[in-house]
Formats: sequence, C-alpha cells, structure tokens
Amino acid sequence: MYSVIHGIVLAVACLVVIVPLGYLIINSIKLPREFLTIPPTILPTEVTFEHYQDLIDDKKTVRYFQNSLTVSVWTTGVTILTGTLAAYGLARMRLSAKILALVTFIFLFIRFYPRVTTVIPFFLVMRQLDLLDTVWAIIIGQLGITIPFVTWLMLVVFQDLPSEIEEAAIVDGASVWQRFSRVVLPIVMPSVSAAAILTAFLSWNEFLIASSVARRKASVLSIAVASFVSDKGIQWGPMAAMSVVMIVPMIVFALFAQKYLIRGITFGAVKG
Amino acid sequence: MKKVMLFLFIIALLPLGSALAQDMPHAGAEIVATYMQSGTYDVGAENIEAAFEEATGIELELVASPWAVLNQNHITDLTTGTGEFDVMSGEFWIASVYDKMLPLDAFVERDSFGGDYIPTIWQPGPSGYFDGKRIGIPYSADAYGIVYRTDIFEEAGLSADWETWDDYIATLDQLAMHLEGSDIAPSVFSWGASEQTPSIFLGMYDGYLVDADGNYAVDEESAIAALEKMASLLAYNPEGAAGLSIDESNSVFLTGNAATMICWVSFMRASAQDPDSSLVVDNWAVAPFPGPGFPFLSAWNLFISEYSENPEAAWEWVKYYINPEQSTQRFVELGVGSPYLSTYEDPELMAAYSHDFPGMVHNLSRAQSVPWVFEAFEIFFRNTSELVIGSISAEEALANTLAGWSEVTVPPALVQSAAAQGQQQDM
Amino acid sequence: MLRKPATWHRRHDVPWLIAFVLPAFFIVVAVQFYPLAYSAALAVQEWSLTKSQEPEGFVGLENFVEELGDETFRRSVRNSVLITGGAVILEMILGVCLAYLTMGSSWRMRAVRTTLILPMVIAPVAAGTLWRILLNYRAGLVNHLLSLIGIQGPEWLASPDWAIISVILLDTWQWTPFVLLVAGAAIASIPGDLLEVAAIDGASRWKTFLYIELPLLTPLLLLTLVFRMLESLLSLDSIYSLTFGGPGYSTYTMTFYIYTQGLRNFNFGAAAASSWIFMAFASVSIALVFWFQRKDW
Repeated sequence: MYSVIHGIVLAVACLVVIVPLGYLIINSIKLPREFLTIPPTILPTEVTFEHYQDLIDDKKTVRYFQNSLTVSVWTTGVTILTGTLAAYGLARMRLSAKILALVTFIFLFIRFYPRVTTVIPFFLVMRQLDLLDTVWAIIIGQLGITIPFVTWLMLVVFQDLPSEIEEAAIVDGASVWQRFSRVVLPIVMPSVSAAAILTAFLSWNEFLIASSVARRKASVLSIAVASFVSDKGIQWGPMAAMSVVMIVPMIVFALFAQKYLIRGITFGAVKG
Repeated sequence: MKKVMLFLFIIALLPLGSALAQDMPHAGAEIVATYMQSGTYDVGAENIEAAFEEATGIELELVASPWAVLNQNHITDLTTGTGEFDVMSGEFWIASVYDKMLPLDAFVERDSFGGDYIPTIWQPGPSGYFDGKRIGIPYSADAYGIVYRTDIFEEAGLSADWETWDDYIATLDQLAMHLEGSDIAPSVFSWGASEQTPSIFLGMYDGYLVDADGNYAVDEESAIAALEKMASLLAYNPEGAAGLSIDESNSVFLTGNAATMICWVSFMRASAQDPDSSLVVDNWAVAPFPGPGFPFLSAWNLFISEYSENPEAAWEWVKYYINPEQSTQRFVELGVGSPYLSTYEDPELMAAYSHDFPGMVHNLSRAQSVPWVFEAFEIFFRNTSELVIGSISAEEALANTLAGWSEVTVPPALVQSAAAQGQQQDM
Repeated sequence: MLRKPATWHRRHDVPWLIAFVLPAFFIVVAVQFYPLAYSAALAVQEWSLTKSQEPEGFVGLENFVEELGDETFRRSVRNSVLITGGAVILEMILGVCLAYLTMGSSWRMRAVRTTLILPMVIAPVAAGTLWRILLNYRAGLVNHLLSLIGIQGPEWLASPDWAIISVILLDTWQWTPFVLLVAGAAIASIPGDLLEVAAIDGASRWKTFLYIELPLLTPLLLLTLVFRMLESLLSLDSIYSLTFGGPGYSTYTMTFYIYTQGLRNFNFGAAAASSWIFMAFASVSIALVFWFQRKDW
C-alpha cells in the first residue's frame, strides 16, 4: 500500500515537471501559427525544425555556446575548489564563534547584495582591469555569487562531520592536505556534487552580470534567450528551441555529477 | 540575350567601380553600431554590413541587444565615458543622456541630408534634439492604428471613417448588434501588455502633457474623461481580454475573432497577409486613428556618441543605413515602417498595400512622440492598468499618477520636445 | 613511528588552513569591495540621471526616508513578502518530502531525481516565458487541462490575486529542486548505523525522523531556507518575463523596484538606498539562522 502511494506521488511530481518541459519541446518544433490556438495545439499538425536550423546556421549561436561553456566550466571549477577549501579551512581553524560568524556574514552579505545596484561600479572595475567584453569579467562577477554560497554550504557540512574521523589520520601524521583530500573529501562528496550541480546551473543561466559587462564578443546563451523577448512581442519558436539547446548540456552534467553523488553516498556508508 | 547579360554585368560592376575610383577617406576606421535585437532593424543592418565595409573601407561591428539591455548599456557607456559605441540606436527613453550625443546639424547641412521625410518625423520629438540642436536621425516610423475587417464592415453596411473615439464607439455598438451570437468581438486590444494602454489614452486625451513650468502634468478633467472612456472599451473585447499580450491580441484578429483591433500596424501587417498564419488575408485595412488626441509614434533614431573617435566614419554608416532606398527595402523585406514619404508613394507598393498605406500615412502624419521618460511612462501605465482590471477608479488612477509624477523631473530635451509638438500647457 | 601530540599539529596546521581560505577570500572580497563601497556611498547621495550627470552631494539619510515613505516601495515589499513567503514554504515542504521519497541508488530513483531537478536547469527568463504561455487564460495548456476535468480556470495573469499565485507557482516549480538536491545530499550523509540502531530499538519511522534525522538535518535545512528566501526575494528574470510586475503593481516586487530605479530610471541614489534597506532585512535573516544553529551545538 505504502509503495503504491509512493509511486503515485512520484509519478505526479514527474508529470508536473515533464508536461511543461514537453510543451517547451513541442513549441520548438511548432509552426508560428499554432502558438496561440484555442484550445492549445498539443500535437502540431506539421513538425518543423526550422527554429533549430536557424540556430545552427547562425554563427553567433556557436560563439555564445562556447562562451557559456567557458564561463560555466571556470566558474564551477574555481568555485568548488576555492569554496570547499575555504570552508574546510574555516571549519578547522578553531576560530572563536564570533569571528567565524563575522567572516561568514561578510561572505553572505556580498552574496546577497542586489547585483542591480553594483552593475555600474562593477563595470568600472572591469574597465579598469581592461576585462570588458571578456568571459573573465563574467566569471569574476559570478564568482562573487557562487563562492560565498558554496563556502557556507560546505562549512555547515564540515562542522557536522564528527571529529573522530580525522583523529586517526592526525595520529598517523597526515598533513592537512592529506587529511582533507584522502579522508574528508570522499565523505562529503555528495554535498560537493550537489554544490557543483547548483553552481553550474546558476552560472549557465546567469543573465544580469553577463549582460552588463559582455555584450559583443563575450555574449552568452542566457542573453540570447532573453533577446527573443522584444518590445513588440515574443518569438516563441526560436526561444523554445534555444531553451532546449541550453538545457541539454546541463542534463548531461547533472547525470555525470549525480554519479559522483551516488558514489560519495556509498563510500560514506562503507566508511561510516 | 547575351546583350542583356552583358548589360546586367556592367550594371553590377558599376557600384564596385565607382567605389574603387573614389578615394575612401575613412578606410581603416573601426566603428561599433548598436541595434535592438528584434529580427528587423538589426537584420536590416546585418544585410548591408558587408556592402558598407566594401564601399567605404570602414570596419563596422554591429551589436544587437534585447531592448532592456540595449538602453542599459548605452546609459552605462555614456555616463562612465567609456565610448564603446560610436553609433547608437535609441528613442526618447534615453533622453537623460542626450547631452552626451554629438550634434549632427553640421553633417546634415554639409551633405544636405534629410530628403522627403514625413514632416512630423523630422521634427524635434520624433527626431532626437538637445538644446535646439539635432542629435538623432530617425530610421523607422510606426504609428498606432486601428485595423478593421473590410468584409464584416461591408456585410454590416458600416464604414471605418470615424474621426473621434465617440464615432468609433458608436461603430462598435453597431458591430456588437450585427455580430450578436457569433464568436467575433467588435474590438480587441492587448490590454495585458500594460505598457500599451497609454496609446489609447493619448488618442482620446485632448490636452497638455507638460505644464507651463516644465513639469509632468495633464488637464485633469479631460484626462479623467479619457481614462474612463479607455476603460469602457474593454467591454467590446472578447472574454479574458484584460490579459492579452500583443501576440495574443494579434492572433485574435488574425484568426478572425475580432472585427477591429487597436495595434501597432507594423507588427501585424506581414503575418496578416500570410495565409500560413492568417485567416483574414485581403480582408482587412488600416483605418484612421480617431482623435482628438494623437496616434502614439515609435521612431528609432541613430545617434553618434560624443566619445566616438571616428564621428566621420560613424556618420558614413548613418547615411548608408538611413535613406529612402534602404528604408523602402527594410519595409518590403522586414516590415519596418519607413519614415520616408517616398516609400508610401511608390506606385508598385501603393498597389500592393492599397489596404494599408492610405490609413498608415494619415496616422503617421498626425503621430507624435511623448515627452515621458521611462519612469513617468511606467507610473502612468501601471496605474491605468490597475484601472483596467478594476482595482481603482479613474480618479484614483490619475491622483496616483500625479503623485508619482511630482517626484520625476522632465529632462530639458523632453520639455523642448513637448513644446515643439504642442504638448506643453500654454503660458 | 614517532607520534607528535595533536596540539602541535593544530598549531602547525594554521598556515595551511589560512592558505586554504585566502583564494576564496581574495576573489570575493577584493573584487566586490569597490562596487559595494560605491553603492554605500551612493545611498547617501542625491543622484538621479534625469536631473544631473554627476552625484549632487551628500543628503544623509534622506534617500532612506524617501524610500520607506514611498507608496510603490511599500507595496513592492508587501508583494515580495507574500510571494517569497508562499513560495519558500511550499518549496521546503515539497523539497524535503521529495528528497525522502527519492532516496536510494536504484536506476529508477536516479532517473526520478534527475527528472525532478530539471526545472532548475531552465534559464529563469525562459521559464517565465514558458509559464506565461502555459497560464494563458484562453490558449494556455493549464486552463485547457483544467477544462478537461470540468474546471473553469482563472485569469491567471490578469487578476491581481491569481497573478501573485502564478508567480508563487513558477518559483515553486523552478526551485523545489534546489531544496530536493540539498536535502537529499544531507539525508545521504546521515550515518546509516544511527538509523539502524533506532530501528533495532523499535522506533517508528516517524519517530526516527523526528528525533534523530530532523535534528541532524536542521542546520542544513535552515541554511537552505534562508538561501531560498533571499534568492526568491532577489529573483528578477522570471517575474520580468512572466508578469512584468503586473497587472498594475500586483506582482511588482522589491527587486523589480530596485531594478527599475537603478537600471531603467537611473535613480542611483534611490536604488542604492533601497538595496541597503533590503540588506538590513537580509542581514537579520542571516543572523537569525546563525543564532538557531548556535543553539544546536
């Protein structure tokens, strides 16, 4: 009985996710005249791949794709590396609670300050560093958001870790780096995977920073998606096609990271 | 046949030859020009980019951005003095940085630029002006209009020659009787795109938009009457019209479910004549936009930044992009409304657009731009939208608007624009 | 093997640990410091681009007083509280429940989990546009499906109340996966033997959850809660494309207000001041979480 309800609940949840996404895919292969029909067109009378063809034919799409990929890979890589290390450092430094709270607080303050009001000064900083219209400007801007998040997330995880786990390694004379990489990291791998997934998603879709410091060579996919909304209406078909194109790499990444998430869980279970 | 081919070959070579013969004074210069990413203005620019580079030797980079990003980038660039863009696309929304634009009078005079612009569009307001000097050259023109179903009107024995909104509403009443029992609504409008509602208000309102002291204001009695009249139009729309976006409203008309539509004509004209997307091909026409107010005008300008290092090369691009031939071509290929009279007087086009041009030219010749900065515009359209959904009364909408406007300063350029278009209260 | 005392190790570790923290600290604080300081300076100055090209001087707290008294600002705060409150409560409950329901490493559970986190992958601006077409009163899929089971769907985006519900639904749809992901990782890290012991002791599933798992999960759940709350308050792209703050001011949120002031109207002073008001609120929320977490240790 329980497993039946369990199954039904999960099926409903999956439907709530899949139906809108399926509709997005259908929209990407619909003819323009079938977008606003009453009732809505669920099965298009004619399937068209023109929206995808247009995207592929446009050289700019390829460049946006490369830029988005560069930004996401760097942002995720640097964030996970520095954020996890920083969290471990903060957790093991035996700082007084007040100082620890203060450092975390500064990080979070920077994380949550409305970016809208720092767009112009950030633009000036990037101009000073001669980084305008480069992917580095976007990456640096995004790191200001992602590193504090990952640091805090991992800080909570490290603090919850029983100290006995490391004691044996300390007694064996392992260095901090060895303790971190060989003992602690495998155990917290599920959380690291989750943080990496979240960071990659955020970076891939981030719009405001990208649009304010990179509008020409370094433009990215999220800006391209927004550009289908103009002052006189929405180009539904191309927008849907672009959204689908944007989703695919992230699904691949999520599957990949999930594998690590699982491995981390099983490893943790063996260890624990 | 051979002769014809040879002739065509020579013709094709002529422009190339003359370009080579000319010395190219700006060869090697690099300029950056911006457009809104819309599949129209930007595509029109991309189409002629290579030809321009070949003809002038100037290296041109085009940057197309979504509307909101475009304005934001311009203002960031100009207030920080970065000078990334030489030629900028904009309208009065960026009037707060008009003082950072290069005066173009000397260029216009030297090259006797201008030609046969629709007179209203060449004037301050639709054309960007600062301190009495021209800074903007308009390259598009679209006016609010009313399109109607010629077949339904004929069947009902009605004509679309209304002069005032009361005439239009009287026609809607007759249509309502005629269409009773059918799925067809007398009228449709994109009420859900709330930034569009001021267009109807401006058509109904007869009065000033800036007071004698240069502040945002309206004649209250006339404004309340116009607001109430505007809201009353909703009753002639199909059910659920309060949420219609521009696309949805167009689709209601194109699928034959409305007898008239208040809209931007340039946004529906191409699809309305395309049998793939329209059920009303050849059964519609543009009617005059009723008074006593004016049709809202959208006219994109090209500006040259005062931080441009190559203003001469930038001006070359302005001239290359904006001229009667290019404007006509953009109209035909991309549906961009032309600011030149010659487009609308072209005999071939006149025949093809006989349902469209007479009404369009009439509306364009009466159309005006508004002196509102975005902030003033937004205060107004959000309050009118609340009125439309029935949350507040016309009096409250106006009171809220005036209270909001009291905090907003009119940029000098827009006071001048209002004065030039007769929108300022008499002293 | 020579064994060094643990305390020696701790002292010896400190330079290493500092080196661990420095890169992150440098990237975050160094690059963001100037923009933040600049914004703080603007908050106490009069500067609106329509009036002047340069800041017009120090005005003290005037910007703050003006913002707090501004009718639109207050309304946007109220909308934000409603939208974020509704969305975050739904997300936390649904996210934790789904995290429990999708535990396990069978391929089926993995597939379900991957499916469920998909909404998060869509660019918010695209998600907003997608839901705008889904929630369309006349031609939308949602009202069509409702009509199939005999329900007349509401005017989702044209009625003030339903517009708020629509925004809540979109936020919940897109971000429940976030809670699912973090809570899932947290649950996975609970040592299995703890639960086994409880099971042997004969504790019911519910009691195990209440007395063993929940206390262990609380720090991370609180963190998730605050993150979702502040993230939701800051969300802009999705509201921009779903309702554009409308109809009227119905879904005009605080972030929409700050965005409009800063990057549309270029009232830099006002935008900076309202950002700092927002941060005062955010700071209190963060501090509350710290306080709760402290109590647990």
